Amino acid sequence: MTAIERYLAPAGLDDALAALAGGNATILAGGTDLMPQINAGKVAFRPILLNIRRIPELRAVEVGQGRISIGALVTINELKDNPVIAKAVPLLAEAADHFASDQVRNMGTIGGNVANASPAGDTLVPLLVLDAEVELASATGRRSVPMAEFFTGPGRSVRRPDELITALSLPLPRLRTVSRFVKFGTRPALDISAVSIGFSATLDGGRLSDVRVAFGAVGPVPMRGRATEAVLEGAALDAAIIAKAAATAQGEVKPIDDLRASAWYRRELIHNLLGKVLSDVVSR
Amino acid sequence: MNAPQHASLIGQRIPKMDAPEKVAGKTRYIQDLNLPGQLYGLILRTERVHARIVSIDTSAAKALPGVRAVLTAADVPIHPIGVNKDNPPLKGDKVRCERDEVAAVAADSLEIAQAAIKLIKVEYEDLPPIFDPRDSIKDGAPVIHAAKPDNVAMAFDYAHGDVERGEAESDVVVEDEFTLHRVTHCCMGVSGVIADFEPVSGNLTLYSNTQVPFLHKREFAEVLGMDPSRIRIIQPPIGGGFGSKLDIYPFEPIAVYLAKATRRPVKLIFTREEEFIASPTRQPAIIRLRSGAKKDGTLTFRTVDVLLDNGGYTSWGATIPFVMMQTFSSLYRVPHCRYHTKAVYTNNPFAGSFRGYGNLQATFAIEQQMDKMADALGIEPYEFRLKNAQNAGEVTGQGMHFKTCGFQDCLETAAGRSGFVEKRKALGAAKGLSGVRRGVGMASMLHVGGGAKIYPSDGCGTILKLDDFGHVTIMTGASEIGQGSETVLAQLVCEELGVPMSAVTVVNNDTDITPWDVGVHASRTTFIAGNSAIGAARKAKDKILAAAATVSNMKAEEMDLKGGNIVRASDGEKVMPLAKMLRQLHFSDKAELVMTTNYYEPPSVHQDKGFKGDVSAAYAWATQVVEVEVDTDTGIVKLLKVWAAHDVGRVLNEMGIEGQIEGGIIMGQGYALCEDMPVVEGHLVNPAFRDYKLITAPEIPEMDISFIETMDGEGPQGAKGVGEAPSICMAAAVANAIENATGVRIASLPFTPERVYSALKGRPL
Amino acid sequence: MSSLVEISCVVNGTPTRLAVPPETSALALLRDHLGLSGTKYGCGEGECGACTILVDGVSVNSCLMFAVDFDGRTVTTIEGLAVDRASDPLRQAFVEKGGVQCGFCTPGMVVQSRHVLDKHPNAGPDEVKRGLEGNLCRCTGYKKIVEAVITAAAAQSAAE
Repeated sequence: MTAIERYLAPAGLDDALAALAGGNATILAGGTDLMPQINAGKVAFRPILLNIRRIPELRAVEVGQGRISIGALVTINELKDNPVIAKAVPLLAEAADHFASDQVRNMGTIGGNVANASPAGDTLVPLLVLDAEVELASATGRRSVPMAEFFTGPGRSVRRPDELITALSLPLPRLRTVSRFVKFGTRPALDISAVSIGFSATLDGGRLSDVRVAFGAVGPVPMRGRATEAVLEGAALDAAIIAKAAATAQGEVKPIDDLRASAWYRRELIHNLLGKVLSDVVSR
Repeated sequence: MNAPQHASLIGQRIPKMDAPEKVAGKTRYIQDLNLPGQLYGLILRTERVHARIVSIDTSAAKALPGVRAVLTAADVPIHPIGVNKDNPPLKGDKVRCERDEVAAVAADSLEIAQAAIKLIKVEYEDLPPIFDPRDSIKDGAPVIHAAKPDNVAMAFDYAHGDVERGEAESDVVVEDEFTLHRVTHCCMGVSGVIADFEPVSGNLTLYSNTQVPFLHKREFAEVLGMDPSRIRIIQPPIGGGFGSKLDIYPFEPIAVYLAKATRRPVKLIFTREEEFIASPTRQPAIIRLRSGAKKDGTLTFRTVDVLLDNGGYTSWGATIPFVMMQTFSSLYRVPHCRYHTKAVYTNNPFAGSFRGYGNLQATFAIEQQMDKMADALGIEPYEFRLKNAQNAGEVTGQGMHFKTCGFQDCLETAAGRSGFVEKRKALGAAKGLSGVRRGVGMASMLHVGGGAKIYPSDGCGTILKLDDFGHVTIMTGASEIGQGSETVLAQLVCEELGVPMSAVTVVNNDTDITPWDVGVHASRTTFIAGNSAIGAARKAKDKILAAAATVSNMKAEEMDLKGGNIVRASDGEKVMPLAKMLRQLHFSDKAELVMTTNYYEPPSVHQDKGFKGDVSAAYAWATQVVEVEVDTDTGIVKLLKVWAAHDVGRVLNEMGIEGQIEGGIIMGQGYALCEDMPVVEGHLVNPAFRDYKLITAPEIPEMDISFIETMDGEGPQGAKGVGEAPSICMAAAVANAIENATGVRIASLPFTPERVYSALKGRPL
Repeated sequence: MSSLVEISCVVNGTPTRLAVPPETSALALLRDHLGLSGTKYGCGEGECGACTILVDGVSVNSCLMFAVDFDGRTVTTIEGLAVDRASDPLRQAFVEKGGVQCGFCTPGMVVQSRHVLDKHPNAGPDEVKRGLEGNLCRCTGYKKIVEAVITAAAAQSAAE
């Protein structure tokens, strides 16, 4: 284990960004991923351990100009319980309820879940269909990256080592937006997803528009289902379209065989669960 | 004046005596103990699964500051452990599975020990491995142990009747192959030991999680080449046993070697990952079962061929065929039975003993096939079972004598309370492969309930004393492993001596203090240790009442002990306080303390070479019915409700026995639905709770538990052992319920969503 | 070895100043440095709940938390709840309802139950089961633990 040379717990964002500037800091937020990764030898400490938990502005939840901004330090249980979030983006609150355990939800943060870039990260699929942008800051400036462009591989993203995720910014859903999140599993939570599906669209006069579909744990990164979206965009949801969308989804995901499921089974689940999701949208 | 009424403690809901301390976090488990000057031990395990050890270089590790000893096989005497004496604690010549211990370190801190382990260099030369037990017995298979060139660790053959004749008489014959997977105990407290070797006296004190301290002491003496009388085993409270602490494992002698080498106490505690990799598992099994019946539903014969994956070494668990055999030969009346089992060596992690001891596997096969045969005969499976179920008074082909037998009551109760027959019919009529389907399934079991005479003695000793104030101390050989034995023993003694639970202390954790017991296994503790404790209490009572007769105008047999007093038996009228009598005895001319001893040996017999003999003093029975929901779109099987009817002899502590049954049902649910240890080329791929899934609180089914009280004549207050019974039926019952829901029968475990979904789609598993 | 970080926190009501290595887990700090062995190591990965403690009144897995993050916080372990009169009904319910067998998961269960009851004073079976989903028990089958927490909830509201 590499020794930590310095431990910093700044109270201001600028101090944190200054500490990050050299790109030689390990960022500590909730710690729920960092600690096991360190213990398993998957991650080594960098010379600085930068605890960002004492930076108040990273906890802010703000609504304005048609968007909601959720600070990177907002915990998963806060996503679940915060009335502003529940009202603005209920899908995110719903997804949070399937996340790990109460204790982990009390510690783990939305910023950390995005930063870890796990293909099975539980908030990532809903963030994708909600068209979220990742707000990044560094000593040299700020930028926003759409979620769909953020991930580059398992555990990898476009975030530079000198950058910090400060918030997730989401457009407020329009009127008549319908959204769904399904995480496959045998229990409510404490389960690493074998597949998950997010769906969001505007349903007006029986037709879908602005359709976004995303899949978790069926490829190296959480992915948007562009081909499936194309099938659904502008369509009226009938049995034939649902069947076509489910088949398209089954074909466009790129799962692998692993301990948790075979690729074949993951494709079957994507097919069957997307069918269920769309049928559920019709029935409401 | 009315004499006070003293309610019996038997059948009451008595909280566990150790619970108040446990809820306060005060209980100190092995992990929580520290001895002055102790070192931290750590084991280097092999990364190969079958290889010759060419060389081990420990020089860099030895040179690390803070390292006090680095040991390899070259540094210690070679005394293999295990029932076949095939497992040297440190491996010198070759490694045979992922767990194998090749070196060990003792250091001033765990961090130093971890660093030292990384500095040890081992050179291996790979040998051809075997991962599938079917390959072990092929001609020309690589040999894993030179002493067993055929790779067969153990073989068992049993027969009664004439199966060829039985087959000729059959109208229906079915044959199936069942495949059972590998699971492990997952005790919440990981394994550990502290060895304290006193160099001047040569005394060894072991702080150990064992559930068989006296057998351990004997085996330790052999392994270490020590005088057994120099070994003292102290058992701190155990964070779960379930059979996992029935063997000596290499880490224990290794800790002793390290303590001897360093002259310091050595503490060696597993990580959770190590616990998964290096603790025992349930036996994976391939069971080929062929059975027949006549048109009227009478069973005719059964032939059984079982192949067990023993793994690299042989633990006591390799003797599970004893128990499997009982289920095949004697759960139902089968006039002709032939049984063959081989436990074969592979390069997989080795199996051990686990609650249920082979019975989960055997019951899974038999009870699925009972449904299948009933369907083939056109008989309702419940009726088919009832027709062939054992009754009280039967002596089976194996010589088991069922003096009490609640099997038929269990069947009737579980079926009646669940509405099994009607439900199965209605749900079966609606079975299908789309949407969400429901089904019910039934399974029953037989298990020893009055000890099991495997060792030369199946007994337990008790020393009992009363102080001047009526406080009772029970010293028992029986270990408390969380199951509540100390509370039940206290209850039984209180019942005899008429004192409250608060007046009792149980001492059960130190081989220098407590009398011998064969160990916690075979669901025997309540029965054997209970009878032993009752016997000691009765001797004390006789002594007290005899003394009371000399100071009152009543005869001893006219008096009793109730409510802390000596009372008149006929009407409960107080004669004198118990404590006063005890002081009179103590401080009179007689100058006596009330101290008694008792050793109880059950009236069971050893089996002969053909495995025949009445091996237990009583037998336990159960029937469980489950209701499940199968989502055919995902393969998810949800367990909704369990109806469990258990012949427990008699309920002693209602809350305690419910706790055993509920816990066992949920352990059985995990075995059926989600627990699995996939081993790929000898390596466990999921050594963490993240992917070894235990049932969690939101997944538990509704449970309806019924007790069948058969009042066993030999049992303590009529009770039988029940510890293992509740986990045994679940997988079989769930399999039958899935068939009822979908029409698809799955012969291999576990019923994970993917396996079930694949089966529903007809895809090869 | 990294240089020590000075922190101050309140542990079970006692203001405490400590110097801790930055990579140390809160679990190791409690058990190895403060001798609070009631908090258990079950898995070290936040999967079993045996190490649950309350930090600023909120339950966390101490095995996943960095000890340095105790700085400025209020920490409650099972040893703190053991002397907390307001938690008497909870501990008593675990004893009387049979929620304890081997007892190794028990401290974590009790601490997490405290958090569940603080969050949902009138918790019913579903809330309790969901609340305890991160606490594994191998002995009891959970039923009696759930009953204990519900009983404690009722006792608590009756007392108010």
